[in-house]
Amino acid sequence: MALIRSVFQDELDSVSQSLVDLTSMVAKAMERATTAIIDCDLKIAEEIILEDEKIDNYQHDIDARIIDIIARQQPVASDLRALVTALRMGSDLERMGDLAHHVAKIARLRHPDKAVPLELEQIITAMGLAAVKLTNKTGIVISTRNTEMALEVERDDDKIDNLHRQLIGILIEPQWKYGIETAIDLTLLGRYYERYADHAVSISRRVYFLVTGKYA
Amino acid sequence: MNSTVKPSSLADVAHAKPAKVSVARALGTGLETRGVHAWFGKHHALSNISLDFAAGTVTALIGPSGCGKSTFIRTINRMHEFISGAAMAGEVLLDGKDIYAPGIDVTKIRLQIGMVFQKPNPFPSMTIGENVLSGLKLAQIKVHNKEELLEESLERAGLWSEVKDRLGAHGGSLSGGQQQRLCIARALAVGPQVILMDEPCSALDPGSTLRIEETIRQLSETMTIIIVTHNMQQAARVSDYTAFFLSEGGPGQMIEVAPTSEIFSRPKDQRTENYVTGRFG
Repeated sequence: MALIRSVFQDELDSVSQSLVDLTSMVAKAMERATTAIIDCDLKIAEEIILEDEKIDNYQHDIDARIIDIIARQQPVASDLRALVTALRMGSDLERMGDLAHHVAKIARLRHPDKAVPLELEQIITAMGLAAVKLTNKTGIVISTRNTEMALEVERDDDKIDNLHRQLIGILIEPQWKYGIETAIDLTLLGRYYERYADHAVSISRRVYFLVTGKYA
Repeated sequence: MNSTVKPSSLADVAHAKPAKVSVARALGTGLETRGVHAWFGKHHALSNISLDFAAGTVTALIGPSGCGKSTFIRTINRMHEFISGAAMAGEVLLDGKDIYAPGIDVTKIRLQIGMVFQKPNPFPSMTIGENVLSGLKLAQIKVHNKEELLEESLERAGLWSEVKDRLGAHGGSLSGGQQQRLCIARALAVGPQVILMDEPCSALDPGSTLRIEETIRQLSETMTIIIVTHNMQQAARVSDYTAFFLSEGGPGQMIEVAPTSEIFSRPKDQRTENYVTGRFG
């Protein structure tokens, strides 16, 4: 029997593609936010702060389209799971954009000084790189619905959690010499990267649920 | 209801709906079909349907046209045999007794297992009151409290408040939705345990459809209902269980039966998934 509802399928595919695009936007935002914080680049920091509104609007547009599809198409089974999951993934991605925005704001706040002492640049850069890599992989998970890769994202997150623990370890050492302000900035930065990655993990888990109907 | 789980069994119904157990007991133990096949001449229309319908539940039968849903419910109250050349095999057990057993009075079976059709079919020249009580008259059942039965049947069908002041009006003077509820009241008046509904809302507007659905939900507290519907949202709204039928070139078969919430959220069979998501049919 021939399959039908091609318009509906196109609408579902389009929502999925928009989520992939939004993932790419928040990955780019965090990549550039890391550059802004390490290179003390005010121009990039301000661009990211302004562009966060674009990410928010993009997410609102996805939400509106999903509500419209639910109202007009009455989806059930895997279609309903895909749309409810997409609503929540959009919300995760929007929050990831906010966290990149927060990193950029620390860069702007401390400019022309550097927020990250030279000694800690490597660890912050590593957290930034790992978070962006994880997010790019999440984009592939959304696009391919590959459940194995979804579980991999969860494992990759351990690397960021380890870096986060390492950073906190340095901050609480008695010989810490960069003052309270810098310690607060770095505590917040560490938290932003760690939370950012957690949202990516949460998205991958949602894809796993969407495909299998079960929680990972 | 048997306590052992069989293939395609709904044996967990009693556990799923404990609040209805006492009513269900008062109404018998429900309906079961065992290996039901149906033919029209040489055409094998339906193959090996085994389903349990626990008392006090609503089961929706869904599937594309020609999959045997209507044929199946017509075997349940022995209407299938009306058609020339039609044959069936298997068992239909009401309270554990085969309704096809030799010596069974078919008229009595149809009093216990009523049917509501797609198109409302009240007797047009009879009044509303006469329509409701017509089943009793045809079956020559005598009741002392006709007025009470009339009110109760119309009340249960959700029509009493709309017609109580014009019981003497003709059935044909009612709207389509009211006529269908009049047919439900007529079916209820003879005191059936089971009501079969063959696309009861397909000729009705959305408001009348919702009223009938509400009636179905209320009736399900006191009887067993089996509804054939092409409206997937209706199956999702009114039924406790959903069975998906499909013919893949050969006779219609039951592909999957499960609690309705499962069929519409996580069906097990890909063919069910494709049907409920509207990918074919």
